[in-house]
Amino acid sequence: MTKPIIEVKNLAKEFDGNPVLKDITEQVNPGQVIVVIGPSGSGKSTFLRCLNLLETPTSGQVAFDGQDLTTLDTKRVNELREQMGMVFQGFNLFPNMSVLENIKLAPMKVKGVSDADATKRAHELLQQVNLDDHADAFPSSLSGGQKQRVAIARALAMDPKVMLFDEPTSALDPEMVGEVLNVMQDLATQGMTMVVVTHEMGFAKSVADRIWFMADGYIQENSTPDDFFAHPQTERAQDFLSKILM
Amino acid sequence: MIKKICLGLLLSCALLMGLSLTTPTVHAATDHSLTTVQKKGTLVMGTAPDYPPYEFETTIHGKTQVVGMDVAVGQKIAKDLGVKLVIKSMSFDSLLVALQTGKVDMVISGMNPTPARRKNVAFTHTYYQGGYSIVINKSDQGRYHDKDSFKGQNLGAQTGTTLYNESKRQTTNTTIKGMTTISNLVLALQSHKVAGVAMEKPSAKAYVANNKQLVMIPSHFNLSAADTSTAVAFKKGSTALVTAANQSVDQIKHQDLINKNYLPAAGQYLKTNTVNTSMWHYWKAFLTGVKYTLIITVCAVFFGFILGVLLALLRLGHGSLLQTAGRWLATAYVEFIRGTPMMVQVMFVYFGLGLIVNLPALTSGIIAIALNSGAYVAEYIRGGINSVDAGQTEAARSLGLSRTAALRYVILPQALQNIWPSLGNEFITLIKDSSIVSIIGVSELIYQSNIVRSDTYRGVAPIVVIMVLYFILTFTASRLLNHFEKKWQHA
Ligand SMILES: Nc1ncnc2c1ncn2[C@@H]1O[C@H](COP(=O)(O)OP(=O)(O)OP(=O)(O)O)[C@@H](O)[C@H]1O
Ligand SMILES: [Mg+2]
Repeated sequence: MTKPIIEVKNLAKEFDGNPVLKDITEQVNPGQVIVVIGPSGSGKSTFLRCLNLLETPTSGQVAFDGQDLTTLDTKRVNELREQMGMVFQGFNLFPNMSVLENIKLAPMKVKGVSDADATKRAHELLQQVNLDDHADAFPSSLSGGQKQRVAIARALAMDPKVMLFDEPTSALDPEMVGEVLNVMQDLATQGMTMVVVTHEMGFAKSVADRIWFMADGYIQENSTPDDFFAHPQTERAQDFLSKILM
Repeated sequence: MIKKICLGLLLSCALLMGLSLTTPTVHAATDHSLTTVQKKGTLVMGTAPDYPPYEFETTIHGKTQVVGMDVAVGQKIAKDLGVKLVIKSMSFDSLLVALQTGKVDMVISGMNPTPARRKNVAFTHTYYQGGYSIVINKSDQGRYHDKDSFKGQNLGAQTGTTLYNESKRQTTNTTIKGMTTISNLVLALQSHKVAGVAMEKPSAKAYVANNKQLVMIPSHFNLSAADTSTAVAFKKGSTALVTAANQSVDQIKHQDLINKNYLPAAGQYLKTNTVNTSMWHYWKAFLTGVKYTLIITVCAVFFGFILGVLLALLRLGHGSLLQTAGRWLATAYVEFIRGTPMMVQVMFVYFGLGLIVNLPALTSGIIAIALNSGAYVAEYIRGGINSVDAGQTEAARSLGLSRTAALRYVILPQALQNIWPSLGNEFITLIKDSSIVSIIGVSELIYQSNIVRSDTYRGVAPIVVIMVLYFILTFTASRLLNHFEKKWQHA
């Protein structure tokens, strides 16, 4: 059996005494695509942010590549964090930099890659997301779908081993959802390990290896898409599916 | 000359108290005052050169110099001691403090050896016995005869002076109008805001000689000799120096040098000055003012900005005990600076820190304004940082940037862009507020304009000139800032 790349053990997180994640133990194997679904406010974003320690867990362990992040010092956490790319619902592009500069910043400042190499790689990635002709544009001049594709390219520039997506298409106009999902699908095909929070059930069905259903601070179900959509086990999941599939 | 006693005294008292608290008092047993001066070869004279013919600035061969009868007295003392005279200009209020803190060796500024002052400094014998006159408009000649003819009228006198207090006490039914400089009072006289201005006889003579619209009348104030005589002030305890200076002073008195030589010589400068009172004649003085105003502003903005960034970062820190302490300190600093007047801060840096390190006035001014500006800039920057969406930090951190790198490459550039207009305003405010350092004798625009005003007896023209100059400075600055703002806001 392959060694899991992410291992979560008894993860709990509370905000000011208010428990959001209660006790989560799961693992992600290399190459797997996990889709996390669940009702709004159930803690999906919090869970994702605990994986790269943007949020510090209240208790439990989050191991990446066999190393428990919660025990490491800030410097090591920074180093491991760069191996987990993250894409946000709100894009979070740096508005004061051009598309190219957005992508080059981290490789140059964190990894010390030369300007020339970073530029070359940035253009490759922009081609991959079909935006090379916008390299010198500023984020404010891009459409939502273009912004999100730049954000994906920016995360990929650090050559991460895992990509985390937090509702990457929720802020997009419907006609732009497809272009972003396509890029994500391509990534999955290339073997990228991905944890995706989304409400796009079509994507979940066709791309996910596993569905994690989260509610009330727990992963209530962990199953294949076929099983999950055909035979949800818990009442919470049945309830949730009946609402969104209506 | 009787000048502002109150503020000067207060300051010197405060500083003396500070002195006796911080330094063990060395008693007069060993008095090195004379040998110290002789060893360094210079005698530093403090004076407030806005009071012709006692002391005033004039342009000699294109260079601004302090001249007047007091300067002649100072030169005589220095010469008799065999040392070189160095003149340090500052506002009258600051003179005694400068003496206490060792910024100057002696003060000659038409200063009256009043009992109150004697408590804090040592005076030589008096070198001049003045008196008081009242200057009125020529058109009112015959209407006013002395201090008692101003019933129901306004009489002007310099605020904080003995003369001001005595004018109040010794007149009835007369409103005493106070202003800080004689030149402003004369301006008020000419625009009929006051009916007369009480001032020292030599000054009155100078004003009348140079302005045909004015005449002088006797004052008939009842004053003691101490209130009308002038003497040289030294630091308390420097007996040897005072004794040596007394020899020069006695000679001056015996030979009547003041009336025979010094006053006529000073009058000479006054005459040449009134010949050419065009503001163009003083372009160099104004240029110096512009230069120093810019130097002070640019340096203060530069260091204030650095300080502001540091303070803002400290205020945003949280977590460890050290960071909490830092945040607390920075908050206290910002609150304290914003809660005290800049003028007091300037005086504190110049005189207060002067007890530890002897900083030149310009440096002190820059430091004080930078310290002040830093507090305000810190608040702008803190606001700027808070205005940047939290998602920006998260995105940067998720890419592996450290907290510092995220701040430096992602957050601060955006914060600065957001607060650029506020920073620009701060810069423009500082161009104007830097005028406060004129009180410690830095020759920026206000200071220079005061000099020109007392030099030419023209009240309004120099004000108009510096108004225009300030406007040119601030307008150019705001255009430049706008230009950069546009260039920056490409996004
Ligand atoms: N920084 C925070 N401080 C306090 N409470 C928080 C914080 N972040 C999240 N929460 C709370 O934790 C709960 C879960 O939030 P989270 O954003 O993880 O939910 P979600 O499943 O991602 O919801 P959505 O589908 O709306 O994005 C919510 O009740 C939220 O109010
Ligand atoms: Mg969420």
